[in-house]
Amino acid sequence: MSAGFDARVLDEAAEWLMRLHDSHATPADRQACERWQRADPAHAQAWARAELLMNKLGGLPSALAMPALGRPAHAGRRAAVGKLAALLAAVPAGWLAWQVADAQGWTAAHRTATGERRDLTLADGTRVTLNTASALDVRFDADQRLLLLHAGEILVATAPDTAAAHRPFRVATRQGLMQALGTRFTVRQDAGRTRLAVIEGAVRIRPATGSAPPVIRAGQQTVFTQRDVAPAAALDLAESAWTRGMLLADRMRLADFVAEVARYRPGLLVCDAAVAELRVSGAFPIDDTDRVLRMLVSTYAVEAVTRLRRRWVTLVAR
Amino acid sequence: MHTAELPSYSDHSEVAVLYADHHGWLQGWLRRKLGNASDAADLAQDTFVRLLAARQPEVIVQPRAYLTRIAQNILVNWYQRQALERAYLDALAAMPEALAPSPEERLLILQTLHEIDAMLDALKPPARRAFLLSQIDGMKYEDIARELGVSLVTVKRYMQQGFRGCLALMA
Repeated sequence: MSAGFDARVLDEAAEWLMRLHDSHATPADRQACERWQRADPAHAQAWARAELLMNKLGGLPSALAMPALGRPAHAGRRAAVGKLAALLAAVPAGWLAWQVADAQGWTAAHRTATGERRDLTLADGTRVTLNTASALDVRFDADQRLLLLHAGEILVATAPDTAAAHRPFRVATRQGLMQALGTRFTVRQDAGRTRLAVIEGAVRIRPATGSAPPVIRAGQQTVFTQRDVAPAAALDLAESAWTRGMLLADRMRLADFVAEVARYRPGLLVCDAAVAELRVSGAFPIDDTDRVLRMLVSTYAVEAVTRLRRRWVTLVAR
Repeated sequence: MHTAELPSYSDHSEVAVLYADHHGWLQGWLRRKLGNASDAADLAQDTFVRLLAARQPEVIVQPRAYLTRIAQNILVNWYQRQALERAYLDALAAMPEALAPSPEERLLILQTLHEIDAMLDALKPPARRAFLLSQIDGMKYEDIARELGVSLVTVKRYMQQGFRGCLALMA
C-alpha cells in the first residue's frame, strides 16, 4: 500500500509520468520534472517508485504481456457492466427532495432497534436486510424503485422489475444516489459518508454534488462523501459478515472494534486509550454482545469495567 | 468466563495447534468449492502461510469462521491469477520457439504480470486498454485516442489514472 506517501505527491508523480510518456514531451518537460523531484525529498521518493514501475513495465515482452494483461479477464462481469452503463439513464435529483424530508428517519416506515436485524421482501420481490439501528423508507412509483436509507446499514438483493416498463432501482443516502441492476450489495450510512460494497452485479454512484459517476463492480467496495468517491478497493468479505450475524476482525484496532460492537449494543461501550491500539482477530457473534465482551476478556489482556447495570462498559488494561 | 469453549491461539507455535485442529477441515471446505483436491491442498497451505506471515503473533477467536474468511479472500484472488496464467500460457504457446524466453525468464515475467495485473485491477476497461496500449505496445496517445474513439484529453486522463493506480499499489 502507499504507506507513508501523501496522496497529492502520488497524483503529481502520476501526472509527470503521463506527461513524459507523451510523444510531444520536450527536454523542457524533463527538466521541469527533475526540478519537481529535487523540490522535496518526498517527491524524490515517489519518483524512485515511479522508476521502479517503469523498469517493471519496460521488462515485459509485449507479445506475452498484451494477451495476458489485456485478456477479457472478467468477461461476463465486464460485459454486464457495459450493458449496465447503457441502461443507466441520467440520475434525476430524486434524493434532493428526500434531503429536506426527515433526516433522522424517525418517521421511516422500516426501523430496527439497536441489536436488531430484520428481513423485508419488497413489492417487486427485492429482498432487503436491515442491520442494527437502521431506518429505511421505500418509495416505488411509475418511474423508479427508490430506497431512502436514513440511518444504519442494509443488504439489498434486487429482483428483476416485473412492471411493464423497466424501472431503475436506486438507494439514496445523505451523500448521494446509488443505482443498481441485478445486484447484491450493502450500503452503510456513516457520519458524513456512505460505504458501498458490491457482492454481485454493479452499482453506479452519483454523489450529491460530484460529477463523473463511477461504477463499482462486483468484488469492489468504496466510500463516498457528497463530493468525492474514493477509488474502488477490493471487496473485503468482512464488510457483509453482519448479514450472517458475524463481525469479522482481521488485526483490527481494539478502538475500531469496540466502535463496531457498540453499534449493536444499547448503552455505552468504549475502550481506554491505553488499550486502543491492541489488535483483535476473529469472528464474533453480533447478536450477543455480552458474549463478544466475554470473548475479548478471556482472550486478550483487557477487562470490562461496567457501570449502570452493564449499560456503560469500559474496556481497560488488565 | 467461558474460556473452555473459546480456544485461542496466541503465537506461532499455537498456529501449529490451529493447523492440527483445522487444516483437514479447511482443505475439505476448499475442495467442495473447487472440486479439486490438489488445488484445495495448495490454497489451504496458502491460508496458513498467510497466518504465519502475520507481523505479530495472533490471537484468534472462533478459528473456523476466521480461516474461512481468509481462505475466501485467497480464493477470489486465485481465480483471477488462474485467468492470467491461462492467457499467459496460451500466448507462450503461440510464440515461435526461437523468440520464447528461457524458463527462468518465463517465471520472472509471470511474477511481474501478476503484480501489474493487481495494480490495474481498479481501472475501468477503456482506461486499462489505453494504459496497456501505451505502456506495453508503445503506442502514441494520439493513436490510442483514434483506436479507442475517445479524445486526446481522455487518453491523458486514463494514463494518469493508470500511473496513479500503479504507484499507489507498489510495495
